[in-house]
This record gives sequence, structure tokens and C-alpha cells, in this order.
Amino acid sequence: MARVNNWQLGREMSYWYPEARPQKQFAAVFDTNKCIACQTCTLACKTTWTSGKGQEYMLWNNVETKPYGFYPLAWDLNLLDMLGGQNWDESGELPVYTGSTIFESAPAGERVLGWRPAEEDYAYANVGEDDCAGQVDGGTSLENSHDMAWFYYMARICNHCTYPACLASCPRGSIYKRPEDGIVLVDQGRCRGYQECVRGCPYKKVFYNAMTGTSEKCIACFPKMELGIQPQCFVNCIGKIRMAGYLNTPENAREDNPLDYLIHIKKVALPLFPQFGLEPNVYYIPPVHVPTSFTGQMFGPGVAKAIETYRSAATDADLAGLLGLFGSSERVMTRWRRIGETITGLDDDGNVLVSVPLREPVHIRPAFDPVQQVTRMNCT
Amino acid sequence: MKHQVLIKMLTAAIALVLSANCGHTVVTTPEVHAIAADRITLDPDDAIWENAPTHIAKLIPQDLVEPRQMEPTTAEVRVKAIMKDGQIAFRMEWSDDSQNDAPGPRKPVDAAAVQLPAVIQANAPAPQMGEQGMTVEIAYWRADWQASVNGRPDGIQALHPNASVDHHPYEAKPLENNEEARRRAELRYAPAKALGNVRSGPREAAFEDLIAEGPGTLTPAPARHTSGIGKWSDTGWVVVFVRPIPNGFSATRPTQVAFAVWEGTHGEAGSRKMRTGWINLLAK
Ligand code: SF4
Ligand code: SF4
Repeated sequence: MARVNNWQLGREMSYWYPEARPQKQFAAVFDTNKCIACQTCTLACKTTWTSGKGQEYMLWNNVETKPYGFYPLAWDLNLLDMLGGQNWDESGELPVYTGSTIFESAPAGERVLGWRPAEEDYAYANVGEDDCAGQVDGGTSLENSHDMAWFYYMARICNHCTYPACLASCPRGSIYKRPEDGIVLVDQGRCRGYQECVRGCPYKKVFYNAMTGTSEKCIACFPKMELGIQPQCFVNCIGKIRMAGYLNTPENAREDNPLDYLIHIKKVALPLFPQFGLEPNVYYIPPVHVPTSFTGQMFGPGVAKAIETYRSAATDADLAGLLGLFGSSERVMTRWRRIGETITGLDDDGNVLVSVPLREPVHIRPAFDPVQQVTRMNCT
Repeated sequence: MKHQVLIKMLTAAIALVLSANCGHTVVTTPEVHAIAADRITLDPDDAIWENAPTHIAKLIPQDLVEPRQMEPTTAEVRVKAIMKDGQIAFRMEWSDDSQNDAPGPRKPVDAAAVQLPAVIQANAPAPQMGEQGMTVEIAYWRADWQASVNGRPDGIQALHPNASVDHHPYEAKPLENNEEARRRAELRYAPAKALGNVRSGPREAAFEDLIAEGPGTLTPAPARHTSGIGKWSDTGWVVVFVRPIPNGFSATRPTQVAFAVWEGTHGEAGSRKMRTGWINLLAK
């Protein structure tokens, strides 16, 4: 095992291979507060990439309702249980993870601490997760049986991790991380279907295909990203919760890079289960209405601060403006700027891709239309 | 005939004679003896195997590379070998109380392999998949491939009869009368197949020929030359591997052979396997 730097943990950690960061790293921010669980992203991915034989059960993109939704079943709970209670040291300026990662907790003879979902664990995506927990008889009112008046939607794709457990798990070296953009791919010519990656990925974002006999995973729509266009699940997102781009390390963060700004400068978007140790590259703006005792475990120690920052967007023109760029263009916006009330997304060469107003103008239409001689309801 | 009598005498001189349940005597040898036979067979039940002595190969867990096989599972494999006209056939038989031939997530399949040094030499390559510059040849058999060769259709319903599939785009009406366009559309959703990585059905053979120069280097051999049949019974698997005789192999020029077994029930695949070290392979 090599020693590598994982900035999300605030420390070095052990990994199967030496640190080799790509020239640039594919990354994304998902705003959980805006997701409506319409599953358009799931369908966009499904029709594009996983409509083949053996892919029927696969959702490279899935959206699950937390806390009771999982795909596959208990993907997070099982590993948290195996890993056991772990701690962060929050006494310094930056939190430091004092617990053990899945690489550091690998049992004898294993490459990582992992487990393999059974077929049936994939079989019921979304079924029952939004249902009330008890029978409601006619005439009675619904009482909340689990004492939790909250839930939220978690959209999940492969995190194209800096230290992928899928890659570390493969004894054949069939998985590689592209040096040009950090996208993690399974070499379909080399894979022999051992399913070690399925066992190793804590996010369960590699899937075994019984009809090709190989494991398959999210490819971050690399043919699109190479053309400067965001992936399918991003451009089709109804809630406009997503932004794809490239992320620098914290010491190289640029104010004018949208992802650097949200993740490193504002720290409003946080990694998913950073304690696993993979340095995942999909970042979540945590749900503001969920107790931080829950989200803290999922997104790390920065949760309370991130929520506070997010809530301040109403008075923070930069943050509000940048959030307004989400879903405004299918192009990858690697740069952004705000001038007054106008926020602009640009590419690396400074070409303007899109401009949006800080606040959408409000149009009030009179209820009576004199041309058509009708009265209409205004619905917004 | 004379030849065979001589073989039996020679074998007896070094053999341990055991009484088997069925009443036949099982002649075991400390090496694998490849017996010159009248004919070669793909069939594990062929009577010709009765003429060949058995080598009982003890299996040990793969413990060289991670992920390792931590718990011993399949204890031994009973091996016989016959030769005829440039072909050598190995018959591997092992106990297994469950037939794992339907692949899926967390459902590895039963499998077995026969390994030989690519070149006969005094210094054999490292027994675990060879080493750099010292190639090994591996013939690999898999239970799901056998099921495919035996006629199991290629589709999710063959594995899950109640599975319902809304729609496969390549089965759309406009492609119905254009087989080439339909095939291209299907391959678009099967990248491994499009790359020629035939790891599943439909298949022509339940076998794959591979070469390796150490763990993690397994590569398809330039051509497939192994054939055979794997059969399941309540007691386990019997698989016959027929391949060309190793170049230069003769009564005066022995070589080595190694075996491996993967038990699907125990999650064995890839480096999680039970294997032997090199065993002397003698031409008799
Ligand atoms: S999320 Fe899983 S599949 Fe994706 S790169 Fe990380 S370890 Fe690999
Ligand atoms: S398309 Fe967007 S809003 Fe709809 S479920 Fe997916 S992430 Fe949520």
C-alpha cells in the first residue's frame, strides 16, 4: 500500500497505488434541496446507456428517498455497519478524520473492506420507500410512526473517485482512471467479470452484467464531456439541481471555477461519505431541513456550516447567482463571473456560454384577457 | 494391447490400489499419468477412462495475491489423462453439492482450469500463473458457458423466468427486417461483446484458452484449441478438457500440470480459488 493525500480527510491515508492525480478531475455538484425525484435523470441514463441485455436491473443513475430508500438495498448501512463507529478531530482549523477508511480496514487477504449485494438487493429500487409506515384507517389522521418529519431525495451516480475502490479491487487492473479527466472506466475488453469491483465500491456503482459477463459502470458520458457538453443526467434534470465540471485540489482552487467556488471556497457542497476514503468527486449541497446528526454521517463534519452558507444565499449575490447557473446550459461551464445582476457561464477560452439574471423577472398577467375575451387562472 | 498391459504393470508398480464404493478398484498414482489410448474422447462418462489411473490432486487456497482465498473449500480433484494422435485429454472430477451455472450479481459460477508450462523445461515457471518470460497455458471451463453450449437461451428470462422487460431498443419494429442494423444496435448496449470479449452466451464452446506470465496477466491465447464437456451429477462436476499434447512431451520428456477449481457457492472467481502446485505429468 502507498501513502497518498486525501484532502477530504485532512490527512494522508493508505491506498493500493501511489497518488497520481489526473490533469483535471471530472466533478459535479448536486443540490439535494432542489431534487423532486422525478427520475428524469435515471431515465435519461437508462435509455442512453443501459438498455441492453443483462442491463435491465442497472441504474447507473438512481434517485432514492433517504432515509429509507436504497439502491441496492442497504448499500450505505451495510458498509457503515462493517466499518463501525469512527471519529473526526474537529479541534483544528480543518477537520481531520481520525477513523479508518475502507482501505485501512481491509481484512487480511482483501484489498478493501467491501461486500457484494445479492441480486434481489437491486430488485426493488424505490419500491415502498415513500410509503407511509403504517395502515391508515378511514376517518383517522396520519400519525408519523417513525418520529421523523423529514426525508430527502438523493440522486446518485458514480463519483469518479480520486482513489477508486473499484480500481483498487480489480486484481487484473481492468479498471483505469483517465489521466486527461479523471473519469473512471472499466476496460470492457479486459474485464473478466470477477465482480471484485462490485464488492469494493462502497457506493455500489459498478454492476455485473450476466449477459456480457463483465462489470459495467457510469462513464460520465465521456463522449459528451469530451465535446464540452454535460452528461445526460445533468442536461435532462428537471429540477436543475446539477452542475458538471472539473475540480482542482483545495490549494489550487480558483474563484472563477464554479465547482472550486462551491466546494473549496464556499464549502457549501460536500462529498458523500468522505470517511470511506475514496475522495469522491460528486459533491452534495446537504438538505437544509434534515437533522445534521443524520447528514453529518453522510456528508462529513462540514454539514452545519454548509447549510448555514446555503441559507445565506438570499443575501449573497455570488452564491445565489452561481446556483442560478445550474441547468442553464448544456455546455460545461468551467468559468463563471457575476457582473451586477448578470451571471455568466464561460468555457476555458473565455467564450460566453450563457448569461442568467440574478433574479428571474416577475411577470404578472391580468386575469382577464381582452383579446380572447377569457378569464384565466394564473398558476406559478 | 501388449502396450496397455505393460502400462498397467508399470502403473501397478507405483500405484496405491484402493477399493472404491462401486466395487471397481481405483488405481491412484502420485503423478498424473497420461495413458496412450485407442481414441480420444470429450465425454466424461466414456468407458475409456476406466483404463486410466487416478491422481488425487490436493487443492490449496490461492494465497499469493489479494484478494486471497482465505478459507479452504474444495479439498481435492480426481484427475485422469489419456493421449492419442497429438491430443491429450484431462478428466477432472470434484465433489460439489450445488450446481452454480446461472451467473448474476453475487452469483459466481463453478469453474475449473488446467495449466501447463508453454515450454517444457527443467525449471518450471512459477506454479501460480507463471512468471515474466515463462509463460503458462491455461484451459478454462465455466459452468454457465456449458449451460449456454447445452442450449440455454441467451437472455434474462433464461436466468429469471418471471423477469419482464419493457423494451430492448434493438428489438424495435423498424429493425425487425434488417438483421445487420439490429445486430449493430444490440452491440451498442454490449460493449464487451462489441470488443470481442466473449465472456458469456451464446457460445460455441464452454472453454477458453489463455496464457499468463504471472498473476493479473491472464490474456486470451491467439487461438482456441481446447474442447470438451462438463457434466453435473448430484455428487459434483466431471469435466473433460481436450487440447494438443504439449510440444515435445514424451515418455522421456515429462512436464508439469496444475489444476484449479472455483466453487460458485463460496463466491469464488478470479484469484479467489482452490489450486494445486505443479504436479508431474508423465507420458505412459
Ligand atoms: S463511485 Fe464506485 S465505481 Fe465510481 S469510481 Fe468510486 S469506487 Fe469506482
Ligand atoms: S432529474 Fe433532477 S430533479 Fe429529477 S430526480 Fe433527477 S436529479 Fe432529481
